[in-house]
Amino acid sequence: MISVTVTKGYDLPISGRPSPEVKTLKKPLRVASLPERIPFIKPRLQVEVHDHVKIGSVLYEDKQNTDLKFLSPGSGTVTAINFGERRVLREIVIELDREEQVVDFPKIADSDIRSLERESLIRMLMQGGVWTLIRELPFRNIADPKSSPSSIWVVMDSGEPFQASPEVYLRGREALFSFGLKIIKRLGIPVNVSAPDHLRLLGISEMITHRVRGPYPAHDPGVVLYQTKKSASENVCWYLTGQDLLAIASLVKNGKYPVERIVAAGGSRVKTGCHFQTRTGAPIRDMIPELADDTTCVAGGLLTGYVVDADSFLGLHETSLFCMDKGDQAQLFGFLRPGLAKHSYSRTFLSVFRKQPFDMDSGMHGEERACVNCGSCTRVCPVDILPQFTIKCLAADAIEEVLAHGLLDCVECGLCSYVCPSKIELREILRKAKHDYYMEQK
Amino acid sequence: MKIIHKLFDSQRKHFEGKGKLRMLKPLFEATETFFLLPGIVARSGPYVRDSLDLKRFMSFVILALMPPFFFGIYNAGYQSCLVSGLPVDFLTVVIRGLWIVMPLVVISYGVGFFWEILFASIRKHPISEGLLVTGLLFPLTLPPAVPLWQAALGISFGVVIGKEVFGGTGRNIFNPALTGRAFLFFAYPTKMSGDAVWVSISGTAQQVADAVTGATPLAVTVLTESGETVLTALEKAGYTFSRLFWGNYPGSIGDTSAFCSLVGAVILILVGVASYRIILGGVLGLLSTGWLLNYLSASSTNVWMVLPPLHHLVMGGFAFGIVYMATDPVSAPGMEHVKWLYGFLIGVLTVLIRVFNPAFPEGVMMAILFMNLFSPLLDHIEIGWRLKKRISNV
Ligand code: SF4
Ligand code: SF4
Repeated sequence: MISVTVTKGYDLPISGRPSPEVKTLKKPLRVASLPERIPFIKPRLQVEVHDHVKIGSVLYEDKQNTDLKFLSPGSGTVTAINFGERRVLREIVIELDREEQVVDFPKIADSDIRSLERESLIRMLMQGGVWTLIRELPFRNIADPKSSPSSIWVVMDSGEPFQASPEVYLRGREALFSFGLKIIKRLGIPVNVSAPDHLRLLGISEMITHRVRGPYPAHDPGVVLYQTKKSASENVCWYLTGQDLLAIASLVKNGKYPVERIVAAGGSRVKTGCHFQTRTGAPIRDMIPELADDTTCVAGGLLTGYVVDADSFLGLHETSLFCMDKGDQAQLFGFLRPGLAKHSYSRTFLSVFRKQPFDMDSGMHGEERACVNCGSCTRVCPVDILPQFTIKCLAADAIEEVLAHGLLDCVECGLCSYVCPSKIELREILRKAKHDYYMEQK
Repeated sequence: MKIIHKLFDSQRKHFEGKGKLRMLKPLFEATETFFLLPGIVARSGPYVRDSLDLKRFMSFVILALMPPFFFGIYNAGYQSCLVSGLPVDFLTVVIRGLWIVMPLVVISYGVGFFWEILFASIRKHPISEGLLVTGLLFPLTLPPAVPLWQAALGISFGVVIGKEVFGGTGRNIFNPALTGRAFLFFAYPTKMSGDAVWVSISGTAQQVADAVTGATPLAVTVLTESGETVLTALEKAGYTFSRLFWGNYPGSIGDTSAFCSLVGAVILILVGVASYRIILGGVLGLLSTGWLLNYLSASSTNVWMVLPPLHHLVMGGFAFGIVYMATDPVSAPGMEHVKWLYGFLIGVLTVLIRVFNPAFPEGVMMAILFMNLFSPLLDHIEIGWRLKKRISNV
């Protein structure tokens, strides 16, 4: 086992941590698939409104790779296909049958795993709709079977505040996890399992290859890779979370498209922060009925996720919801207050002496200004990017230089944007640059 | 709270769209956000943001400037009363001090904001908080007797040439307050460095003033008679080390007291607004060069070379310069290691200028401006060195 220590980064002191308790939600009325939230794919619809689908029927495929199928998380009638701006396919809503039907996929017994070929395994995972859970660094697109990654990382916990905890989703599923590892080892690429060093995870402890210590986002696969790589040949890697590995194992073992998900809900605006046993594509309102207009709800991690409204659904990759105050209230002499309740990376508020976590809100807490070169973003970046200089190179269109600064190592953790006193959208600027570069490469 | 809200809401229409005061929109916004921290909701991830904004960041510099500011008022008043033969009780001194200093501060902020608003309106930028600092920093570097029109000219030069022509806050190469100060120094050398300017004298007492003479410590040394060391010359003129440290002697308004700058430095370093690397680097550079020159002085006739290094630290506004000017993040390097070097070189240059070119007694000002010029190069060097260690990812 390898110990990895990350020194840079920052743990935000956030209140409303979800308890490890798991509540099982009753079957939802509707579920949905959200192609808009899956990075870089170009969906081609395979269903129409009023079609009947089963759990595991194809809803859409990727135009760039038609083997890549996205399957229905429920059995029922397609009631709506919604488009967003510029006719981006936003969501496909399915009203569930009382008795759900399931598409059957081939299954493989534990003893036959050894004879599984790489190509047939890939085809099987693609057909079974779970290949979409494996993603590729540095761009975080869905893994391209034609690329040659140096390794696969199974990440137990991304370190993002309030994600579903491995201690919860692994409970009683250790054998399935180990089965999943056996399966992906058949891809013929070295498999690493990384876990935070404070989690004991007894049931799988001998399968863990990397123990990671450090503040957020130390446990992100991109950061672990950055800290452990020895040469540029390791830059391309595949990764998936522990929960995704369970889904893959479940497909292969049971021959059914797995829709179970454990989702964590937390934050100061959630009544009782806990974990939910629910399913892919479940309605947000089922999990957080109290969601109101003065609340911001972020899906998929407080710092890297996106805002959802109460009528929306849970995306394919997301396993957390975070609710907080909107933060749209002006504050009299806001900048002169002692700030015992104001969280900050800096030492400019009395809150430096505070031990308790803070109620967060989604306010900017200031207006955008020009960069004053304070250096906080560079100090906090876990992969040693120099955001303050990198965005200047970007503004000058010096893309070579931007890449040399390590643009592709950026894990999109958002800490740079968090700390910036000038409120510059550093993460968004870098993320967009990375996105554009990916599109150019294609 | 509600009332203030309503007040701004009711006036907003004049400044927006086709309102007749639309040119002044930046002014309106700046005033409004001074009272009300706006509740803007994050539009892209991450959806939580630090409570620190630039207003608060800059407020700490203002806070740290308070010790030299208050002491400057007192000292300017005190020196003036002394020379003018007025009583030196606290009240008289403070009133006199306010009378001298406040017009300069008002002119500095007034003229500074005029330019800032003008450029902000033309460029449709928000007004930058940086001016709150510049506007106070600048008058503190001035001699108390400087004519108001010169102060106005200086701050104009600082804001327009020092900052706006580069594209505004964040893009300027030089510290604007220092640019303005240096401009006055070169444009009106006699006004800025003669003996008379250091004390503001009330009209009738001119003769008295000449008798007491307000030569600053740095000027004293020029008067050194042969055979006398610079130290005895200083002490003969009343400039003991402790007096230099506490700062009760004639000089620029804010920079005579090394003690006040020390207090400011502690505040700035504690809250992390100024880089301790620059300050400590500067002190190290100054002391080590001072020592080196002491060591070499045997073979030279330069009277300055034997000055004890610690004296350099408390004289000629070095403390003020290194604490408040050199640490301006915009004109200093952004990379952590070269900040040491940047500070160190400022210290070295300060001593070298003082010792070998006594025509510029205020070496620290020149040293900082000179090093401002090299900040981008220093950053470039450290970045290059860091990128070399990086495993490439393209
Ligand atoms: S550049 Fe910003 S978003 Fe990217 S890794 Fe560094 S801190 Fe995180
Ligand atoms: S945190 Fe913001 S203001 Fe500070 S250096 Fe980075 S980009 Fe500039």
